[in-house]
Amino acid sequence: MRRRYGIAATLTTALLVIAAAAIATATGCRGGASHEAAAADSAASHEKKLNLYIWSAYMPQDVLDDFTKQTGIAVHFDLYDSNESVLEKLQSGVADYDLVVPSDYMVRILIHLSLIQPLLKDRLRGLENLDPRFLNKGFDPSNRFSLPYVWGTTGYGYSRERVKGTPDSWAPLFDPANKGQILMLDDMRECFSAALKSLGESINTRDAAILRKAADLLKKQKPLVKTYNSSDFENILAAGDVTYAHGYNGQIAKVIAANPGRFGYVVPKEGATIWVDSVCVPAQARHTDAIYAFLNFILDPRVDARIINAISYASGNGAALPFIKPEIVHDPAIYAPEEALVRCEFVEDIGDATELMDEFWTEIKAQ
Amino acid sequence: MRGRGGFLRAHTWLIYLFLYAPIAILVVFSFNKATQTAVWQGFTTEWYGSLVHNDLILTSVRNSLIVGVAATVVATVFGTLVALALGRYAFRGEGLTRNLLYLPIIIPEVVIGAALVTFFGVVGLRLSLVTVILAHVVFSVSYVAIVVRARLSGFDRSLEEAALDLGARPLQTFWRVTLPLILPGIVSGTLLVFTVSIDDYVITSFVAGVGATTLPLQIYSMLKVGVTPEVNAVSTLLLLLTVVLIVIAQRLQQPPPEGVRD
Amino acid sequence: MTIQNPKPKIQNRISPAYPLVLPTWIVLGVFFLLPLTILLVISFAQRGTYGSLKPIEDFAQYVRSGKILANYARSLHPIYLQIFWRSVWMAVVTTVLCLALSYPAAYYIAVVAPARRRNFLLGLAVVPFWTSFLIRTYAWMFLLRTEGLINRTLLSAGLISQPLELLYNNFAVLIGLVYGEIPFMILPLYASLEKLDLSLLEASADLGAPRSSTFRRVTVPLTMPGIVAGIILVFVPSLGQFIVSDLLGGARTILAGNLIQNQFAVARNKPFGSAVAFELTAAVLTLLFVYTVYTRKKGQDVLL
Repeated sequence: MRRRYGIAATLTTALLVIAAAAIATATGCRGGASHEAAAADSAASHEKKLNLYIWSAYMPQDVLDDFTKQTGIAVHFDLYDSNESVLEKLQSGVADYDLVVPSDYMVRILIHLSLIQPLLKDRLRGLENLDPRFLNKGFDPSNRFSLPYVWGTTGYGYSRERVKGTPDSWAPLFDPANKGQILMLDDMRECFSAALKSLGESINTRDAAILRKAADLLKKQKPLVKTYNSSDFENILAAGDVTYAHGYNGQIAKVIAANPGRFGYVVPKEGATIWVDSVCVPAQARHTDAIYAFLNFILDPRVDARIINAISYASGNGAALPFIKPEIVHDPAIYAPEEALVRCEFVEDIGDATELMDEFWTEIKAQ
Repeated sequence: MRGRGGFLRAHTWLIYLFLYAPIAILVVFSFNKATQTAVWQGFTTEWYGSLVHNDLILTSVRNSLIVGVAATVVATVFGTLVALALGRYAFRGEGLTRNLLYLPIIIPEVVIGAALVTFFGVVGLRLSLVTVILAHVVFSVSYVAIVVRARLSGFDRSLEEAALDLGARPLQTFWRVTLPLILPGIVSGTLLVFTVSIDDYVITSFVAGVGATTLPLQIYSMLKVGVTPEVNAVSTLLLLLTVVLIVIAQRLQQPPPEGVRD
Repeated sequence: MTIQNPKPKIQNRISPAYPLVLPTWIVLGVFFLLPLTILLVISFAQRGTYGSLKPIEDFAQYVRSGKILANYARSLHPIYLQIFWRSVWMAVVTTVLCLALSYPAAYYIAVVAPARRRNFLLGLAVVPFWTSFLIRTYAWMFLLRTEGLINRTLLSAGLISQPLELLYNNFAVLIGLVYGEIPFMILPLYASLEKLDLSLLEASADLGAPRSSTFRRVTVPLTMPGIVAGIILVFVPSLGQFIVSDLLGGARTILAGNLIQNQFAVARNKPFGSAVAFELTAAVLTLLFVYTVYTRKKGQDVLL
């Protein structure tokens, strides 16, 4: 009986050995000579390839094609839909991305964990084009590591057909009269931000008592919420499942534009989250030439405007304004007016208080 | 048996109805003029046309198929061998092997994904399509083993022994007696793991590297943009392809060997 | 009477089973056990400020003070136990429904339908799952939402006056879970049913047993391996599910899968997430162990 299976088993073991050998060669010897590694690095730095890791909907294909046409550099991009994916991939140390576009608080974390490298400012042209409102922020003073790409706010969208007048505060989202008509982002920080702001507090407070008050408010709100959703809340609003949809302005602005007159967007007067997504270079990125060629490409106001016109978010590049479509620049849902931004705050990492907030969030969701 | 057959047939077709209801919606919406998936705004075939130019989706389909086939083949072979071992022999380490096979099913995908990406980082294996295939093999072997093992229970050895007595060589016996008898189990197992692999999102999202985006990853990433009906179109086409394949396989199938129940 | 071949006793020489299990052991050992061991070690650590690990200054003190088990202790708080309980309940209901729906269908395909049609019918049952999970789920949302197809049809047919709440609740989650798990139940059931020896059923009928008796005392025991395989393949992964409850349930409940997912993602607390996952694993393994011992005692075939 042994011989019967012997051949099959031998074949498969042989397969395995070959596979193992293949993996071993693919991995390469980690302890290889350092000057070989350096030579490989410098070769890679001149390679005409670029690997982008970016939010979906943040980069139109034709801009990339143009870049390739101009410079001969092939661009490959992969998409993600959460900052934590970026963290996970960069932490592993084995993902080959050259550029990532994390949000503000994540930039801070990446800097702290040494997962992104300082920018070589002398290789960059057009830094003066950037909007000073988004420079020198707490998460990256003097922008050593990041360049603002797009920014936005997190308020809420609402159905004009079902709501009388123009709402201007967080109150409707916590109002029992609106039971079953509310959507909240499935995002711990964003929900707490809404609650904290409506309580008149800072969204970055680490005070346990204040956080508990916000948690209680969110617990009271939960029976009123029809659904929590961070990915396509704008479609749920458009489909009529809810009247009020907590969400990021860009996606809601799209629904507003696609359904003229039927929806509106509010940055509540108590304040909201303002966020900025920035371009950063992972510490292990190797295609240096391609990276700086690309950065310079998008720092150009005209190119940036083309991007913005396609993706409908507000740009971190101030000089691009004249080239952006007027309906975008004058859309308060995209380019929030100054008065609305006064009480808005950037999300900052709250350190150890994250665990406390997570426990509250679990309690809220487990209700 | 006839009355029962009627009820069973009705029940089965109801189940098919249940299974295909969302599929019908999916197919219908591939002709939707609107870009939002929730609202119907008229009939169009433009998405099938634009699909041809959508390199992102086409590449991800290709990646999914490569991963699916590779992982399924490896998992089916390994899983069948293990099932044979567990079903036939008592050996030291039997219980351990059993538990080893349960683990990939018990442990949540998030944990497997996180463990794998950490591990790859530690050993320096760069993320790519290969890491995806490895990950898929890891969670697939158990499924095949369990399904084939279920098939092996109560397996009648006397058929094999008869063949050997009649002078057949052991390998011959395996190919022409054992294998055909456990084939339905193997086929079930293969179908199962291919299904799992082609639609896996969580584990793949952890271990995919540059250029290793599979179809589920691509679709998920399109959520924020708005999942255009192109996704419905590609799903419909894949559906058509698999149905055609199954029909062809059906036609090519040999008639069942004598002695097997019809 | 079933024909059983008792397995030979453990021999002293190298069992022919070893080359068969070797490939699997190598692949799973390297690419599964090793990575999990890393996570297991991590589960005894604490979350650092930015989400990586807090460095441990004094290891001996860390062990003595009991902090090494902090994550495991935390997971026993009532709030988490409530989550586990709800997940188990959800998984049980899903499994039962799946079994009830799949068994007759698998029986029909394996026993009643003509042999040449079998693979085709089986394939048909599986093909829907080769489409994208996300799109299928969205299709369900289209069917179930307040202004969705089902409600609109029922309203215009005058069968109801108010739209039914079919989405963003447990009902929708169950539909989603059952729907997604059907192939995992049908396929093992089919594998077991297909080799059902009909002559045994006929013999039972000839001996005067009513159909229900034959089913209960002949068919079910004979197909028990398939049933158990299906139950395991459906129940266990259902515990770790989180996407269905997020989409169809409106993310309003938190199941074990969501909890673990949150720890690995937003909370950036891998140690706690790993601890919860390993506890879940230990619990299920214990259940399986108990089941194995029980069936061994009764002389029945075990799962694997």
